[in-house]
Amino acid sequence: MAENLWALREKKKLSVAALANRSGLPIGLIMEYESGLRSIDPRHLGRLARALYVEETDIKLQSDPRPGSGPLERQPRREVPGRVPAEGSAAGRPPSADPRPRARPPRPRAEPKPPGPARPSQIVHLENMLKRLGRSKEDLEAELGRPIAELDRVAMSELLKTVQPQIGQSDSATRRRAHLPESVDEHEARYLTAAQEGGDRLHFTLFDGSYLNGQVIGFGPFNITVRQADGTEISVNKLAVVHYRRDPAAGAPKEPSA
Amino acid sequence: MSLGDYLRILRARRGGITPWDIEAATDLPKGLYRQIEQRYRAVGDDESIQVLADFFDVPFEELRWRLDWPRKALSRALVAGREADASITLFLSTGQTVTGRVVWWDLGAVGLETLEAGLLVVQRHAVERWDPRATENSPAPGGPDAGEPELD
Repeated sequence: MAENLWALREKKKLSVAALANRSGLPIGLIMEYESGLRSIDPRHLGRLARALYVEETDIKLQSDPRPGSGPLERQPRREVPGRVPAEGSAAGRPPSADPRPRARPPRPRAEPKPPGPARPSQIVHLENMLKRLGRSKEDLEAELGRPIAELDRVAMSELLKTVQPQIGQSDSATRRRAHLPESVDEHEARYLTAAQEGGDRLHFTLFDGSYLNGQVIGFGPFNITVRQADGTEISVNKLAVVHYRRDPAAGAPKEPSA
Repeated sequence: MSLGDYLRILRARRGGITPWDIEAATDLPKGLYRQIEQRYRAVGDDESIQVLADFFDVPFEELRWRLDWPRKALSRALVAGREADASITLFLSTGQTVTGRVVWWDLGAVGLETLEAGLLVVQRHAVERWDPRATENSPAPGGPDAGEPELD
């Protein structure tokens, strides 16, 4: 059940300033959230939840005003007795005798330096790419009309930018990419995600010959957490699992042949 | 189950001794045990397997046959099955046999469309052997273990 922000804060025995400090949000904003003047920005919800060690769903987006508190109003700035605010000076400094703004003379603009020679790493990178493209350095030099070694850093960078896309094109023609994941267990993770989101019941066969039925409520690279029909939750290490499938009771038939 | 996976289990049964403990206790060259266990392709020879069989006190043949069924060969067979849209039979370490069409596979599991059970997710560490075996000349897997990191 979601609670008012101010109630959660007080439960955690935090001042508004402490909450502001922890969450990185301005005090005034938190006061506005607590008073219900504005609803909590979804971007701030996570920060407040983390600062209060609660779930985001535990916080009411629109707090009810605290009983007995009046509406939040911006208070006028208190005057410090004996202090005369200085005209034209926010910090209370005496006004300058010369009211003209002081302009700093512009710095003379430095002449741009000519780019340095190409870095060795750029040259090595270019040579590697040429090798992959099956082209020779001499060909490229003939195309450019000058030796690669004479290129400066900027020109070399531009040249690399033109050669790089050719690598992508040539590789895509020859590279064998099976219908396979980028990461090591993407397909299984997708399957489990779909099962978890769909609330499907899975039937696990374990190495010790036992079975496990239940809804997937979480999983990681090495384990799967299942909620059984009686509500108990079990985390099973994948190393203990032989195979699993959608629960046969939900439609799929028998066990594979032994 | 590949030799590497099986050695990992034996190591766990021995209370989780480390590869370094094993190397220290045997005459295996430095780094060889780790390679046998961690590489996807077959690493090791009869001599080193005999050393390990003596160390773990298991029959030589129980380790030796697994050398011919490395993880990479399973990947190759799965790719071949997937590309040919043909069935593959997996013989599991529990004694079960599952046959089906490879829908997907990754480093951890295989999604197999079976007649009996629909889509069955088989954990790769449970697979002992498979049929058909893809030949060495079959297309190399372009999958996650294609770029097996070279150790040392």
